[in-house]
Amino acid sequence: MEKIISIKNLNKSYGAVKAVDNLNLSVDKGEFFGFLGPNGAGKTTTIRILTGMMEPDNGNIEITTLNHGTKSDIHRFLGVIPESRGFYEWMTGEEYLLFFANLYQIEGNAVKKVDELLKKTDLLRSKNKKIGAYSRGMKQRLGLARALINDPKILILDEPTLGLDPQGQEDIKKMLKELNSKGVTIFYSSHILPEVENLCTKVAIIDQGKLVAQGTIQELKDGAKVDTLTEVFLKLTTPNHD
Amino acid sequence: MIKQIWLKEIKSELYTWKSTVWLLVTSLLFSFTSYLLLTNKELSLLDQTELLWILSEIIIGVALLIITIDASSIINSEFEKETAETLFLSPMTIKDLILGKLLASLSLWVAIFAVAAPYIIVASSGTDLALPFLFFVALLGTLGIVGFIGIIFAISLVYRSVKNTLTTSLILLLVFSVPAFFSSTLKNNPVAAWFSIIDPIDNIFSSLDNILVDYHTSILQNLNFIIPLSIFCAIGFISLWIAVKYFKKQGVIRSTQ
Repeated sequence: MEKIISIKNLNKSYGAVKAVDNLNLSVDKGEFFGFLGPNGAGKTTTIRILTGMMEPDNGNIEITTLNHGTKSDIHRFLGVIPESRGFYEWMTGEEYLLFFANLYQIEGNAVKKVDELLKKTDLLRSKNKKIGAYSRGMKQRLGLARALINDPKILILDEPTLGLDPQGQEDIKKMLKELNSKGVTIFYSSHILPEVENLCTKVAIIDQGKLVAQGTIQELKDGAKVDTLTEVFLKLTTPNHD
Repeated sequence: MIKQIWLKEIKSELYTWKSTVWLLVTSLLFSFTSYLLLTNKELSLLDQTELLWILSEIIIGVALLIITIDASSIINSEFEKETAETLFLSPMTIKDLILGKLLASLSLWVAIFAVAAPYIIVASSGTDLALPFLFFVALLGTLGIVGFIGIIFAISLVYRSVKNTLTTSLILLLVFSVPAFFSSTLKNNPVAAWFSIIDPIDNIFSSLDNILVDYHTSILQNLNFIIPLSIFCAIGFISLWIAVKYFKKQGVIRSTQ
């Protein structure tokens, strides 16, 4: 399998606190990769470094086949839902997506593309509403639509189903499965372990900035001699867990 | 991408109640000043050139104040409202963002100038000063404002906080405003004279004085004021360039966040 993301010896500290500690991991092309860890484990910091939003202390990140250009060239191929979810509340959903379509210099009919994404994320009826009037779930779906505006080859998602109702979560999972089946590599950070177990082909678990396990879900279950990913997670990240 | 950022800012800054109120207050202030200058018994005895000079001082002063307030928040609001990350996740660069925001701030200056222009034309009626005076208010104002915006944007990229940037920028504006009000006697002092030479606001006012009092209406005759203003503009861009380097080193999200 061709590796599409390689993280080598990555380190990042906030003062005396090591957020990422010599992290090494790789993601294959077309994989649905789960990135797990307890609160404060360093997931968001890793994602921020991966997306070029934060500088590492040292270490190396390679996004294979896309590394020939500048940071902004690489962003043309990435779709990201970051942890911070600020929106231009005064814009309508449609204006917001059109603004980003123009930033990405989408070729062809941007309005049509935006309409398709609004339909996909079930926001078509609210497209002329100000984002300020959107519910949290609607904003979450709008964020996903924005991440898909450039037809990304890699999707990096930080807790994409956070704040969504069960139906919303199902809709997003369905969309992500469909995208993955079309060849989009997905780097998926979540706290909802059954969701990860259901979606991901491979996972990495980090704790206190260190990689504690990486492999297919079955490999991790076999290694820990347990039946669910939740049990693997608890065994590896909770001190004195039986 | 610069155009997209500029259009977004125009829509969010200029077409809002905030900007409408600013422009309305500006217009009322110019009307009130003109009314006083023309009707007050003592003030109406002022020479027409002096009346124009007072009006231009108010126009430049109000424009600098409004643009300082606007420029202090135009970049930092992206960080405070957490929209910067999504912007930088697109192919947009920091250069695109700065140039788009610079154009937006300059658009506000154009709007203020458009409000001020009729007052200048009316106040200079009967003289042949209207056109050269309008030209110089536009030229000198633009040079001064671009320099200030450069410095304010640089402060913004370092602080990433509206409150801190606004406070620092207002103090800076105050420091640069003081020499403009030095009396001629005080300007004889070598330190005050030196400060006057480098001070952008004093250079703008001295140049307008040069046009109105001595009728020096060509660019060549005002070069001794335009050159320091252009240097101030360059200083604004150099500080911005240094701040961009610092910003890139720190990353879009700072390690302390």
